[in-house]
Amino acid sequence: MNRICLVCQNVDCKTRGSEQIMAELENRVSAKGLSDVEVKPYMCFGACQEGPNVVLYPEKNWYAGVKVDDIDDIVAHLAGGPHVQRLDTIDASLKELIYQLLDTGVF
Amino acid sequence: MQGILFPRGIAEGREELNDYRARGGYEALVKALKTAPEDLIREISDAGLRGRGGAGFPTGKKWALTREGAEEPRYLVMNGGEDEPGSMKDRLLMEKLPHLVLEGVILAAYGIGASKAYLYINANYQAATESIADALAEARSAGYWGQGVLGTNFSLDVEITPAPHNYVAGEDTAALEVIEGKKPLPRQKPPFPVTVGLFGKPTTVNNVETLANVGPIILRGASWYRGFGTADSPGTMIFALDENVHRPGIYELPFGTPLRHLIEECGGGLKTGKPIKAVMPAAPSSAFLPADKIDTPLDHRSIREAGSALGCGVVRLTGEGTCIVEEVLKISEFFTTESCGQCPACRMETNTLTSLLKKVQQGQGGRAILEQFGKVLAFNKGKGFCTLIAMPGPPIESALNLFPSDFESHLTTGKCLPG
Repeated sequence: MNRICLVCQNVDCKTRGSEQIMAELENRVSAKGLSDVEVKPYMCFGACQEGPNVVLYPEKNWYAGVKVDDIDDIVAHLAGGPHVQRLDTIDASLKELIYQLLDTGVF
Repeated sequence: MQGILFPRGIAEGREELNDYRARGGYEALVKALKTAPEDLIREISDAGLRGRGGAGFPTGKKWALTREGAEEPRYLVMNGGEDEPGSMKDRLLMEKLPHLVLEGVILAAYGIGASKAYLYINANYQAATESIADALAEARSAGYWGQGVLGTNFSLDVEITPAPHNYVAGEDTAALEVIEGKKPLPRQKPPFPVTVGLFGKPTTVNNVETLANVGPIILRGASWYRGFGTADSPGTMIFALDENVHRPGIYELPFGTPLRHLIEECGGGLKTGKPIKAVMPAAPSSAFLPADKIDTPLDHRSIREAGSALGCGVVRLTGEGTCIVEEVLKISEFFTTESCGQCPACRMETNTLTSLLKKVQQGQGGRAILEQFGKVLAFNKGKGFCTLIAMPGPPIESALNLFPSDFESHLTTGKCLPG
């Protein structure tokens, strides 16, 4: 299974710049030659106040409040680099809800 | 059909002013103007009139709260947005009995002390709009509204506002936005319109059918009105049956009439001749009732105790052999489409529920997927500005509880349960 990088595209996250985040992620994932990573839009992770949100699946990493300046670190993580601890701020129960949804194939 | 609103059944044509007056029309207004507005509100409260737009809120209480508002002017809004699929009661009332509706509007305005009433009417309802516009002209000539109504010092201006044709435009605060010249987007509540409504002033928003009940109550009195229906739900309510039954249409019945009477005696049962599998008393947003609840009385308390809601009376039947998974997917897709999108939680919920149901329909996701519905609904409970976010839950959760084999069939074979 390919790895998927899901970027929230609900109204709140869009107003916080999630469309630009998604476009930049696509560009830099491609530039890095990560052919097994697919960047996809996702309706909403239910964490609008902390958006834009980026979730890596199936490894289940959730990065919140992502800015353009954070993208290189996320792409480096996708390429085998370290977990970006400063962006890992989401409550464990919400993570569980969303990860279970993703496990059912809803994306 | 004998009723309070349609005493002689649904007439072929529109009731003219003279015909309405010949059966006591506008006598309630003459009577009310001789008493204090507070007396009118008390009569409506004593009658136990509840809103017919879906929520069933006590009308007298809403009026009293509006009248208590310190700020002036106050406004009355008649909500004829009517965008529930299958609902046509408000359209028919406006088309056939425009003066009954208009007298209710004028009485309500007098009760709450409104100087202006807006008639918010679904823009697709051309005949209803024309009928109401003609009635307005006739009533103005007769002195029933305008400057100094019937020689009193009560003055009322009335104006028609076309309502956009989409689901949330029928929500009461979305109606206020449209009248203010904005997009039909619900407002956050509280504050409720009774305190901060149209142009920030105290406002009552009443459904068309609610207002149509006002004239008969004032003319004949609360105790007469309570002779119809039940103690919890006095009066009558208009129910709608769709094309799935032999005799589709609207039926005005006293509250407390058994559901079976509506389905069998009025509607003539399902056209397919199949037994009933489930009934949705307030399509598309109420819980399904199983066939063994068909003798439940049609009143707010009884239907609630049976596990569902009465809403605005659009009763939808599902026959044996119809797949509930397919039914709830259609309902979920409707709410996903009709979510206005301004509240992220509503978009998240409606889209996720539809995605989950599509997975079930296609036989994907395994049994674990069934556990996700309740979690998504619980996560979004109480969020969002309007009640649309609470609407997909009852149909989906009742379907899961009542018809697990329909879901099982899809999950194991990707197909509907044979039958």
